[in-house]
Amino acid sequence: MRLSSLFYLIRQGFKNIGRNKMFSAASVATMTACIFIFGAFFSIIINVDTVRRDLEEKVGVTVFFNEGITDEEIQAIGEEIKAIDHVTEVTFTSADEAWEIYKQEHFASNPSLAEGFKDNPLANSASYTVLVDRIEAQQGVVDKIGKLEGVRQINQSSGAARNLASFNRLFTYISIAVIVILLIVSIILISNAVSMGIATRRDEISIMKLIGATDTFVRAPFVVEGIILGLIGTILPLVILYVVYNWLVRLLLMRFGFLGEMGNVLMNAGSVFAVLVPIALVLGLGIGLFGAWVTVRKHLDV
Amino acid sequence: MIDLDRVSKQYENGQPAVDEISLHVNKGEFVFVVGDSGSGKSTMIRLLLKELEPTDGIITVNGRVLNTMRHGQIPKYRRNIGVVFQDFRLLEEMSVYDNVAFAMHAVEARGREIRKRVPEVLHEVGLSEKYRSLPRQLSGGEKQRVAIARAIVNRPQILLADEPTGNLDPRNAYEIMKLIEEINNRGTTVLVVTHNKELVNEFQKRVIMMRKGTIARDVEEGGYIEA
Repeated sequence: MRLSSLFYLIRQGFKNIGRNKMFSAASVATMTACIFIFGAFFSIIINVDTVRRDLEEKVGVTVFFNEGITDEEIQAIGEEIKAIDHVTEVTFTSADEAWEIYKQEHFASNPSLAEGFKDNPLANSASYTVLVDRIEAQQGVVDKIGKLEGVRQINQSSGAARNLASFNRLFTYISIAVIVILLIVSIILISNAVSMGIATRRDEISIMKLIGATDTFVRAPFVVEGIILGLIGTILPLVILYVVYNWLVRLLLMRFGFLGEMGNVLMNAGSVFAVLVPIALVLGLGIGLFGAWVTVRKHLDV
Repeated sequence: MIDLDRVSKQYENGQPAVDEISLHVNKGEFVFVVGDSGSGKSTMIRLLLKELEPTDGIITVNGRVLNTMRHGQIPKYRRNIGVVFQDFRLLEEMSVYDNVAFAMHAVEARGREIRKRVPEVLHEVGLSEKYRSLPRQLSGGEKQRVAIARAIVNRPQILLADEPTGNLDPRNAYEIMKLIEEINNRGTTVLVVTHNKELVNEFQKRVIMMRKGTIARDVEEGGYIEA
């Protein structure tokens, strides 16, 4: 195709938008609504997912050793635990450190009470805290550690692990279901809008075909139009969403102070939009392009 | 130039619109196709444009058999045929200039060529002054002139006109037919489907009369009534 023809087709695409203002506005509005809902839901999902991951990382198991075990043996156990699949982190807490932590937690208000203990009452409390990558894998890791020589006791919060694991599954299913429903609704709404727009231009398409225009030539302006409407219908809700998200995060942090104290519970807009923008753009452009392509195809057989 | 060999077209309702017609049109000829509504005239035009497929028979245009032509080859074939309709079929949102230029863009002509040729053709059809007007700002006769300009801008070898004067008053109808005759005089083969007895009698060209999908009469330099 000549460059001049290409520019002509792109110009025609822009002109089409101007000529069909009502249709263009309806398409953009539909797309804006769909992408906005998608983006809003995505922001919630990604935030909940962050909290979930955060919790997952913090739910570890504590491994205690037999009495009279040597430092070398403890070190060997540590190496063996590290070699187990799914183990991401193994932290050693010596008996003295355990006592120091205990003192801080329980005798902070009255340190003189702790001084009553001459020896470390937690002499046999050296331990490893083991973190795993997935909460579902925790039980398997615990079973393997239990078989190691020199391990006396393993503390795990099995209830928390189980709850988190089932929450994980439920959350994944709901997320997939909602995203699929939203996608289907968006595609139906947008292809409807595009169909209506193109149906009114069926004559135009048939004239083009009778004059001797190729399918590509007829389709190109519609595709350009689809891409432009897709872009506007994506950028507009993203901008709105960005403003709303920032405002909402500020509001939540102000109203619910504990959220701030918990650390990075709410993701900043930058991190959310770094993922959301490419997804929404692919989605918006894809729907615009796909809608135009498919609907023009129906009318090309002249 | 145009050959129809025992061509039939039967629509789904069963009645044949065109029934085993054979016809030969020479290069440079001017032919009127006349007949009542439903006699198969417009179906013949649509068959020649490869808008419809014949149920039977062979259609050859410019040495190319339309029956075996693939979908991808149709645009190139149509570029050699100019077509004019009763209802003009202009692109309503485009100016006169753009409507004509569109046909050249469709064949991927160079920009320079388009800028030279479109004013030339608009001058030929007497619409130089109105190049910026939109179709809705034009009279019926002017609209048909734009349609003719669009049809001939790519210098087709054949011009097919389906009731080109059907929506025009007698004076405009005569002028449009004169314009089509001028195009024919420059070597373009012309096939005009019409109901207009006065014009057919006035112009004294070859007349093919169709009746119930068949060719009832085919006379050289005849008139509507005589035929």
